[in-house]
Amino acid sequence: MSSLTNHTIETPNERQNRHKAMEAIKVLNTLREGFKTPPNAMEYFYNLFEEVYCNQKALHCDKVKVGTMCIQIPSEIIYALDGVPIRLCNGFYADDEIGSDLLPQKACPLVKASVGHLASKNVIDKPDMIYSPTTCDQKTKAGSIIESFGYEVVDVAFPRTKESEISREYFRRSIREFSADLSSKMGKKLSRKNLKAAISKIGYAQSLYHKLSEFRKNRAVPILGNDMFLVTNAFFFDKIDNWIAACEKLVSELEQRVQNAVHVAGKVSPRIVYTGSPPIFPNYKVPLIIEDSDAIIVADETCSSNRMFNDRVAVDEWFVNDMIDSLADKYLKACTCPVFTKNDDRIRRIIELVRSHNADGVIYQAFAGCTVYELEQRSVLEAMEREGISILYIESDYSPSQQGQLSTRVEAFVESLKIKNRNKK
Amino acid sequence: MKRKIQNFINNINLLKVRFWIQLTTFILFVYGGYFAIDFGSKLPMFTCPYNTQSAGTCYLLPLQHQLAMPAQILLGGAGIGVLIGLLTFVFWFIFLNKAWCGYACPIGTFQDWLTGLRKTLGIRYSTYTQNQFEKLSKIKYILLAIVILVPLLIGVGAIGNDWSAAFCKICPARMISPMFSGDFSQWVIDFSTTTAIVLTALGMIFSALFLVGSFVKKRFFCFFCPMSALHFIFSKFAIVQLRKDGSKCTKCGDCYSVCDMQIKDIADDVTSTNILRDDCILCLKCVAACPEDDVLHFDILNFKAFSSTKEGFEKRMGMEKPKGAFDE
Repeated sequence: MSSLTNHTIETPNERQNRHKAMEAIKVLNTLREGFKTPPNAMEYFYNLFEEVYCNQKALHCDKVKVGTMCIQIPSEIIYALDGVPIRLCNGFYADDEIGSDLLPQKACPLVKASVGHLASKNVIDKPDMIYSPTTCDQKTKAGSIIESFGYEVVDVAFPRTKESEISREYFRRSIREFSADLSSKMGKKLSRKNLKAAISKIGYAQSLYHKLSEFRKNRAVPILGNDMFLVTNAFFFDKIDNWIAACEKLVSELEQRVQNAVHVAGKVSPRIVYTGSPPIFPNYKVPLIIEDSDAIIVADETCSSNRMFNDRVAVDEWFVNDMIDSLADKYLKACTCPVFTKNDDRIRRIIELVRSHNADGVIYQAFAGCTVYELEQRSVLEAMEREGISILYIESDYSPSQQGQLSTRVEAFVESLKIKNRNKK
Repeated sequence: MKRKIQNFINNINLLKVRFWIQLTTFILFVYGGYFAIDFGSKLPMFTCPYNTQSAGTCYLLPLQHQLAMPAQILLGGAGIGVLIGLLTFVFWFIFLNKAWCGYACPIGTFQDWLTGLRKTLGIRYSTYTQNQFEKLSKIKYILLAIVILVPLLIGVGAIGNDWSAAFCKICPARMISPMFSGDFSQWVIDFSTTTAIVLTALGMIFSALFLVGSFVKKRFFCFFCPMSALHFIFSKFAIVQLRKDGSKCTKCGDCYSVCDMQIKDIADDVTSTNILRDDCILCLKCVAACPEDDVLHFDILNFKAFSSTKEGFEKRMGMEKPKGAFDE
């Protein structure tokens, strides 16, 4: 009798959590067990993602959480004011489905998932306020949709040309305004000391990323591209000190691996530079297919990884305003986001990554609906052709379907690279 | 071994090294006269002959004197003298290129010290807008034209001898430099002729502007310096160069944000290899602030003597492993 009366019906939130946990654990298990020899230091990251996305563990109960919609909000300033930046870009299909009811059919899955996640009100480490840089159309509009769910959303004006002096001035002012706004909300002032300390700490975190990237230039690549995506993805929400400590461990383990020439892929596995719409956990669909197809991702040009860490801040006199200006310049001028009018910097970055990492080809993924990446596809393909670099362009979304079609195309591309390499010899 | 030395150089604390070099050259050129040191009168920097203790002096004064010779003499044998003067100037110049400005010029060093004073007082520097910058940057060519054309006009008799060394009369270095050895006698207005009144009064104004300007703006005077314009004509032939590998540049703007001269090309130009611009003082702060390996480099002939490196950047910007938390 009791089993009949005691039954409970799963609430929508519980169902959402269950679905998300399923998505998360599937990817984590693949990374843990699907490849040969993941580094021991990766265990920290596997556990972190499992805790947060399968067990709904909150990490920042005691801190003010500042949500950011894109990478152009300087986390240095947030840390300096004692907040925790939480990047809200989302990779769950379960959230994408919720977002689909709120956004147009053909909208970008990343934006739909981010909106869906916040719409569900089922948010671990719920942001106390959200800053939304006006980057692409969909992100820009998403800000006001999210506001209607009852979040405090502040738009941070962001120019879409970056060559002009006006844009530089504009974004410098914009970031100054952002600092003032956050400073008043946090009830704390930016000082030379706290801002410099934050810049140094982020700078150090970036230097760890640079060291990890450096290892991937070797012939024997000590870490999978998918594992790297997980590491950089953790930076979205992890406690920064823990992240730094875990990366230090990873760096020293990989150092050892490089000495022992440990290679995580096959001897003839083609080396791939990954670019395009960002893979955000657990949407590692395409990166996983690539590394499952006997290729190895040695570098990437995406905003969930390389673009977050690549560029650093230099300041001459270390006054608060100098630091803010230099931060603004870095977040605008060095940014290779396709929202800008011109695409040259991004193309140069991809070529430079191919050369420095000795890559055999580029895989360019765009989310169906991620208009800017779709638009840029042509110019990048043309540039790669000019440079004699093989490139594969694929479109995908967050749905679990498409696997067969995508893996066939990726496998064919990888095969062609192998043949090309063999013929070279 | 070679690698080690290179690493050591690329990791240096440039600001400190530069401070000591500047202090040394300042003492050498400003007070060298006390030790009977003399590098001649064709030096490519503002070590002013009005300061009697200078060890070698600025080329602009003899240049003006030589060009002011009567035209028929100048076009005759005396022209060779002018040419030799110019060659001596170029000889000195090619060794250091514009590093004469960034490392040796006493007037430049003095401005850096004023900057240091401002920094200690906690006052932020001012900058020009890009528009102002482009306009002001042309003034040095106008001043260079004054250096060359006014003496030639004297030579053909179009204007009187009271215009002799006209540029020096309005140059702030004439008043500032002698002060270094305790001589304030240049701070006067010469009432002998109308021209003299006007020129020396202008000099007084410019000197006052110099002191105020370089307090609020880094290297205020160097934007207007005709020597800098003259340098630029010969800079391609110098044995030291500032070069850039644009393919690896990410345009992050770090070099631009530390540039005393606000040279935008240093960050935004990714096609030129030779990145030395007319306003550059070759202080190399940009190389020290560049976070990418080998993007900016200071070359002696074709050898990379000082290159930007990730490691050097992290050291100089204090981005090595932090010790404390943020709010300590």
